[in-house]
Order: sequence, then C-alpha cells, then structure tokens
Amino acid sequence: MMKSAPSATRTHPLERRHLALADYAVQTWAIFVSAYRELNARKLFWVALVLNGLVIGAVAAIGIDEKGISVFGYGLGIPGVTTRTFPDGQLYKVILSAVGVGFWLSWLSTILALLSTASMFPDLVSGGVDTMLSKPVGRGRLFFTKFATGLLFTALQVTVFALLAFFVLGIRGGVWELGIFVVVPLMVVFFSYLFAVQAVVGAMTKSPIASVIVTLLFWIFIFLVHSGEQFTLVGRTASRLEIAGLEAKIESLKTDEAKEGLRKPLEDQRDADANWVLAHRIFFGVKTALPKTTETAGLVTRALAVAANIGDEEDAEAEDENTRRQRGFFRSQFVSERKLRAAMDEEMAKRPVWWIVGTSFAFEIVLLSFGAWWFRRRDF
Amino acid sequence: MVADARTHTSDGSNAIDLVDVTKMYAGRVHALQGVAMRVPRGEIFGLLGPNGAGKSTLVKIMTTIVRPTTAHGTILGMPIGHRPTLARVGYLPEHHRFPAYLTGRQCVEFFGAMSLMRRTERKRRTSELLDVVGMGAWGDRRVGTYSKGMQQRTGLAAALVNDPELVILDEPTDGVDPVGRREIRDVLLRMRDEGRTVFLNSHLLGEVELVCDRVAIMLKGKVERHGTMAELTHESRAWRVTIEGALPAWSAEFGVVSTDGPRASIDFKSDDLAVLQALIDRLRDEGAVIIGVRETRESLEDLFMRLVRDVDGRAAAVGASNVNHAMRAGGAR
Repeated sequence: MMKSAPSATRTHPLERRHLALADYAVQTWAIFVSAYRELNARKLFWVALVLNGLVIGAVAAIGIDEKGISVFGYGLGIPGVTTRTFPDGQLYKVILSAVGVGFWLSWLSTILALLSTASMFPDLVSGGVDTMLSKPVGRGRLFFTKFATGLLFTALQVTVFALLAFFVLGIRGGVWELGIFVVVPLMVVFFSYLFAVQAVVGAMTKSPIASVIVTLLFWIFIFLVHSGEQFTLVGRTASRLEIAGLEAKIESLKTDEAKEGLRKPLEDQRDADANWVLAHRIFFGVKTALPKTTETAGLVTRALAVAANIGDEEDAEAEDENTRRQRGFFRSQFVSERKLRAAMDEEMAKRPVWWIVGTSFAFEIVLLSFGAWWFRRRDF
Repeated sequence: MVADARTHTSDGSNAIDLVDVTKMYAGRVHALQGVAMRVPRGEIFGLLGPNGAGKSTLVKIMTTIVRPTTAHGTILGMPIGHRPTLARVGYLPEHHRFPAYLTGRQCVEFFGAMSLMRRTERKRRTSELLDVVGMGAWGDRRVGTYSKGMQQRTGLAAALVNDPELVILDEPTDGVDPVGRREIRDVLLRMRDEGRTVFLNSHLLGEVELVCDRVAIMLKGKVERHGTMAELTHESRAWRVTIEGALPAWSAEFGVVSTDGPRASIDFKSDDLAVLQALIDRLRDEGAVIIGVRETRESLEDLFMRLVRDVDGRAAAVGASNVNHAMRAGGAR
C-alpha cells in the first residue's frame, strides 16, 4: 500500500515546525479550486451567467446614430436621443451604468450570488468541519479564506459582465473603455459587505435560509438608512439654499419695512434648518457605521464619467423657472430644482472614495473579526 | 491552542502521550476528567467506551477540533495543538461528510493539499490509495452518488493520503459491509506492519479485539483500564482442571466444583501459576487422573460490560450517599 514506512527515526517529508509560505499557498489554492468546483456544480451560477449575457445582449441590441435610437434596427422615434446628444458611446455608458450596474449587478445578480453562496458557511461548520480542522490550517485563516472564496461568484460573474460590456462599448459605441473593468473590484467590494453578514450569520446559525433572510433584512435596513440620510440631506441643502436666498433678498431690499416682512420667514427657516441639520447628523452617523452599498455601486458611474447634464442649459433653467413652485417636496421661491440638484451633487462629491469604501470596510472587518473570533473559540 | 508540553517530556517512543486532559463544556458537563494515555509508536491502539464516555471529545482534542480545558502532553513528539504536526496525522471522523460536488479523487487530493502535499505526490498517492480501498473504478464519480460504505472507503483514503505517521480512525467500519470490514481490518494491520500508529476509536468490541495491540476503556470521561489485551484480562485469568471420577472434598477450597457424568471439574481464578501447580500436585498425590487443564480469560466484551456495571454501581452508590447526606443535613436543620 505505502512504499515507505514512516518511523520515529526517519524524517517525514511533511514534518515541520512552522508552515512555510509555499504551504499556505498550496492550501489556499486548494480551497479556491474547491470553491470554484462548488460554484460550477450550482445551477444558479450558470443561470446568472446566462442572464449576464442576456443583459449585455439587450444593451448591444440598442443602436444609436445621428437620426435617433433603434432596437434590433427598428427605429423607436424618440426625439433628442441621437449621437449628437449622446456622443462617444455615452448612451451605452448610461444604460450600462443605470441598468447593468444599478439594476442587474446591484440587485438581481447580488441576490443570485447571495442564494448561491448561502450554504457555504453552514456547510463549513457542520458536515466537513471535522476533517478540515484536523489539517494544519488555522481557524482564522480558514474562516477568512472561505470568505474570500465566497466572493468568487461575484468576481467571475462581474468579470464576464465587464468583458462583454467592454466589447459592446467598443463595437457598438465606438469607445474602447478600459475603465469599465473598474466594475469588477467595485462590485466584489459591494457584494462583500453583504456576504460578510451572510457568512457570520450562516456560520452561527448553520442555516442557509436564516443567513439569506437576515442578509436581505440587513440590506433593506441599510437602504432605509441611506434613503433617510438622502432625504434629510435634501432637506438640509434646500434649507441652506432657502436661507441664502432669503438673506440675499433682504439685502437687496431698500426699505426697512420690506426687509422686516422677510425677517420672520428667515427666522422660521433657521429654526427648521437646525432640525434638518440634527436629523441629517443622526442619519449620517448611523450610515457612517454601515456599509454604503448605493454609493459603492455609484462609484462605477463616477468611474465611467457618465454625463449627468444632458440637454441645453438655458432650456433647463426655463423649465426650472416654470416648475419650481409646483414641483417637489421642497418647493420654494429661492430654490430651483437645478440648483438643489447641483448642491446635492456637490455634497455627494465631497464624500471621497476612501470614506465610502473605507467606512464600509471597517464595518465588514469588525463583523468578520467577530465571526472569526467566534469560529476560533467554538468546539465542533 | 497549543497545549503546555513543558510539564511533560516525551522520549519519542510514544506517538501519543497525554497527561491530564480535561474538558468541561458549558453547563458544567465534565466530558473528560484528567485523561492520561500513552500510545506507543507502531501499534494499533483501540479506544473503547459506551456512548457519552468522552472518546470522540478526546479524539477531537488531539486533532484540534475541540479546545481542551486543560491538556498536557504530546502528539508525535510535539505539544497537542501544534498545527504543523497535523500534516503527519491522518484522521477519519465519525459521520464525516465530504463535499457532494467533488469526485472521490478530488476529495482525496483536496485533503492531501490541506495536509501540505505537493501536486505530483498527492496525485500519485490518491490513485494508489483509491485502488487500495477498492474505489479505483469509482474515483471519478461525485461523492454525492456514493453509498455509505463507499464514502467510508473514500474517507479512509483521504485519511491516509498524507502518508501519516499517526492515523486516527473514528468508527472506520461504520456502514461498511462485512467484506469491506475485513478489507479495512487488513488495511489497519498493513499500516501497523509499515510502522504507522493506528488509533482506533470504536465501540465494536470484536473488531477492536481482533486488531488492537493495546486498548483503553473510557467511562464517564476517565480511562478506567489501559494496557495490552493480556494486561487487561490478567485479573480475570481462570483455570479449569478436569479429572476422571469425583473430586476430593478439600478441592472446594480452591474453587467451584462441578460434575459432568463420570468427570468432575474445578474452576478457580488465579493469575499465579504456583496455585495451579499446587492443585495439580495435590490431585496427583491422591492418584487423581487429570484429563484436562484449560486456561480461560474474560473476553474484552465481558471485561467491558463488567467495568460499565462497576462504574454505574459506583455512581449509584455515590448518588445514594449524596441523597442520604442531603437528607441528614435537611433533618438537622
């Protein structure tokens, strides 16, 4: 059976006091290959891959020229959408950013990835854990390596997406945009926030269903916090613009009587402003501690430099003038929608990438460290 | 967690050398209560005990799956919990579950890689071992399609892939048919012949008796008996001396007298051969025709059952004593 008999006198080829870098590499590679085989064996992986192709295929089916937009060669007759308004593949970038990333990768594909990887950690801590832990691999390292393998699903799916999108942009849009590949690390990071929750819950409960439900609830929670933060930010920004507008108006008035008439609204607005600031600070504080999924996905749009201001500036101002009193929650005589949007964009642009990704990573690291600590202490 | 080996030294002749291994689970369940055990290299060692005795906990502490409350001693000369040493240990857990999406071959290779084996060597060993355990023809099918016995054989191959110096097997014949059991027994004996140490955790007493050089019996978290089969059963060594005709009256002093037609026998327990010689001499002096002298020993099963009864009896006695004490204390109040 075995050609060489081990004995106390002969040194075993695997005898060592400490593991070498090559040993870590052998084990890590084996875990990744095994994870790849696991994904390969799952139908959802292939379903997601096909859907990836369909999404990109649908984008590729759209055509744009100087006359207008078409799908499979049939003109849609939508006025204003031409290569003049969307030059250099901008239309494809907008669609890829809004539909491909904003909807497909950020929602559907992520849910498929969560479902596909749901049993990874419950399986680790139930059936196969005995054999794994009896090998020379530290528990912390095993936990983190297993977590990294869980990101494979998204990494492979998004790489395929990016590759197809790259060719669609090049062939259909005439732009060979290497920047599209930034979607791979960004979406992997995006998925890792949620997968961290799923991994820890899955390991602790040993239940794939519980881990998916808790993760989805957590996702909804962070979405609500994000929505609350954005709402209060709009309120705060609008309030700031309103105060500035009132102050400018008072300054421009010549009579004290006229000025006095606006002082009361200004005071009221300042009181309201304090409330907006407080509410926004609370939401912002909570949000800072949580993963920022929406902003992380939004970084793709930033990276692709998708034009937000399409159309004529004067037309837009005229439209604002006509509608600013009727439209929106924060209607005001001093705040136009365009100004508000510009101020919001300015506020959002102040949030650097390191803040968006860094604070999200901080949450993820704390959560995973807790999971690894729990895994290290547990008896199986 | 690496156990403290400073308080204990090993001369290297023991594959396993445990001193004071304890484990208390939450809820104050004493799974192990100061277990000490030595397993010499190159032997097949059997660990016996009823369910809940702490056998699996002990095995899991040795393989770092369970964290001990205290553990002193060594495995292959290194402190318990020293991870790199696990590369030289093979382990087949009870109720193991391999990933269903892997083939048997991929499974064995995977655990070879986890044991730090390099690609070429683990591929060679995997093919070799799959043939040894009779899975050569099934190696490229997914584990999910295997029967229990086939999974057990694959598990055995996975436990041996790293050419281990110490092989720890937890119920290795569980779910295996009689032919497979025999084959696994042969594999165990071959491993011993090759100089490996085999630690066999089983509650199949007959199986243990057939292959083990040394046995430990665990009951309620303690090692109750520990030694070779001869050492364990020497206390129960008994003799039956049979003669033609009736036994003299004095022979009842030696043991239990019985008659079977024209023959009579005397049965007595003694590990001292001088006692036997004295009996034989006296019978011959009186002209008795001795037609048989037979040595009998308690089987492992008998010993095991006796120990279980003894420990249960002790526990019951302690329990009753505690109740009495409590009642007396209650009365005093």
